[in-house]
Amino acid sequence: MEREEIKERVYQVISQVLKTAPEGIQEAHTFTVDLGAESVQSIELMAGFEEEFDIEMDEDEALSVQTVGAAIDFIAKYVN
Amino acid sequence: MSVKTWKLQEVEEPNLIEDQFDYSLPPKIRFDGPIYEEIDGQIVKFDPGEAVARDLVITDTTFRDGQQARPPYTIEQQVKLYDMMGRLGGPNGVIRQTEFFLYTKNDREALEQCRALGHRYPEITSWIRADKGDFRLVKEIGVKETGLLTSCSDYHIFKKLKKDRKKTFEDYLEVVEAAWDAGIRPRCHLEDVTRADIEGFVLPFISEVMRRSEQVPPELHAKVRLCDTMGFGLSYPGACLPRSVPKLVYRMIHDAGVPHEYLEWHGHNDFHKVHINGATAWLYGCNSLNTTLFGFGERTGNPPLEGALFEYIALKGDLCGINTIVIEEIADYMRSIGVRIPPNYPFVGRDFNTTRAGIHAGGLRSDERIYNIFDTRTLLGRPPRVAITDKSGVDGIALWVNDFLELKGKEKLSVIKIHKIARWVMDQYETHHRLTAISDKELEDQIKTHLSDHYARHQEKQAAS
Repeated sequence: MEREEIKERVYQVISQVLKTAPEGIQEAHTFTVDLGAESVQSIELMAGFEEEFDIEMDEDEALSVQTVGAAIDFIAKYVN
Repeated sequence: MSVKTWKLQEVEEPNLIEDQFDYSLPPKIRFDGPIYEEIDGQIVKFDPGEAVARDLVITDTTFRDGQQARPPYTIEQQVKLYDMMGRLGGPNGVIRQTEFFLYTKNDREALEQCRALGHRYPEITSWIRADKGDFRLVKEIGVKETGLLTSCSDYHIFKKLKKDRKKTFEDYLEVVEAAWDAGIRPRCHLEDVTRADIEGFVLPFISEVMRRSEQVPPELHAKVRLCDTMGFGLSYPGACLPRSVPKLVYRMIHDAGVPHEYLEWHGHNDFHKVHINGATAWLYGCNSLNTTLFGFGERTGNPPLEGALFEYIALKGDLCGINTIVIEEIADYMRSIGVRIPPNYPFVGRDFNTTRAGIHAGGLRSDERIYNIFDTRTLLGRPPRVAITDKSGVDGIALWVNDFLELKGKEKLSVIKIHKIARWVMDQYETHHRLTAISDKELEDQIKTHLSDHYARHQEKQAAS
């Protein structure tokens, strides 16, 4: 899967979970500080990614991902 | 004063201090040197190692002092509790004795039915006033040892008994002699000893009892119970008599000639010191510590028996045959007969090992030892729990879910997998403004809804077992 496609779908999940417009999301944004994700939302994001990409992520590794860009790269490892 | 320079010591593996914190037992109480106290101008050395090597025992007064604080137990309840106490203390008789009143038909019937169980331990003794007439009851019921209430402070001698010291001294000795005439071992309960004139009354009385004990067979040698009736006892090094527990015990042994094995401590909790005073008495020379189940006793209560058991194990470094799991059985039984145990009560309260804080739950998920005092699952049948509120965090919820589903190791569900349940919990507080904790039933319903496959497998496992 191409990185751009992963990025678009990641942005969709973030938008749904955090109720924020995809246009306002940047790869450099951190989930907690910039996008305001709280504890439950962080795991909802991870669950959303798992469902969207039909993957199963390692919990500790997944929760250590801080930024949108890092999430895209992390997911890319699983799907590719 | 020069201050030593401390250099950080980097390590490859964490130092978990496991020589003291062996999770399979309560943390071991280790001493790295003797104890010194100044007593009567002399430096006296106490060896904790010697203390731990003695035959330390626990005695029980649940059916006596314990009953003075509550409506009476029925005979059936006393028999049930006595039976469980026997199993709890194990074959070595760590719970060595118990005591019963004898004044009512129910008291005597309870004693008879307990005795009929045929347990070697706890040995059955009685408790009477220092009244020669009461020996009739002791003889008729056939116990071999009885406590005698020999109140020893001037508060009691002058103001309650309306006597003077000489009359009291003589009357008590008469009762002790009466015990021996009846072939019964007397146990002198020095009521209010932490408020007594130790040199003016207590030492003269007890040293005379010990002198006379040399004239009777060993099985009748008098025992002495030091009764901190109002909880005034102090464990602090350097504290004065009559409140100093170490000095009281020392004076009994060295100045009154009471052997360790005939010396017992009995306390009350009016100043929150009841457990530590009892353990201190053990360390300084009392072999016996008198307790009640869950500390129920007159006013603020007595040393808790289960507390003494864990202290015993921690000092000895071994279970010594104690069947700790019975503690929970007794607690459940007490609750079933309407006894209220506060939820935060150590070892048996509903919440004694329940965490509500999310950060603590996170620690528990990483390693149970972080926020659990010892292996409560094995020793008490009580794994650590989380109570779920808005403060529990996703770690707390994951811990609860995995615990409920009995999933271990790699089977455990990650926080990602329980996200729908976590969302439901947070919505209770953020959207619905809930103020109460989430109940077990509610969480079970959420598992049934959002983790239906896991729930079904769990139910099948439960049905099969």
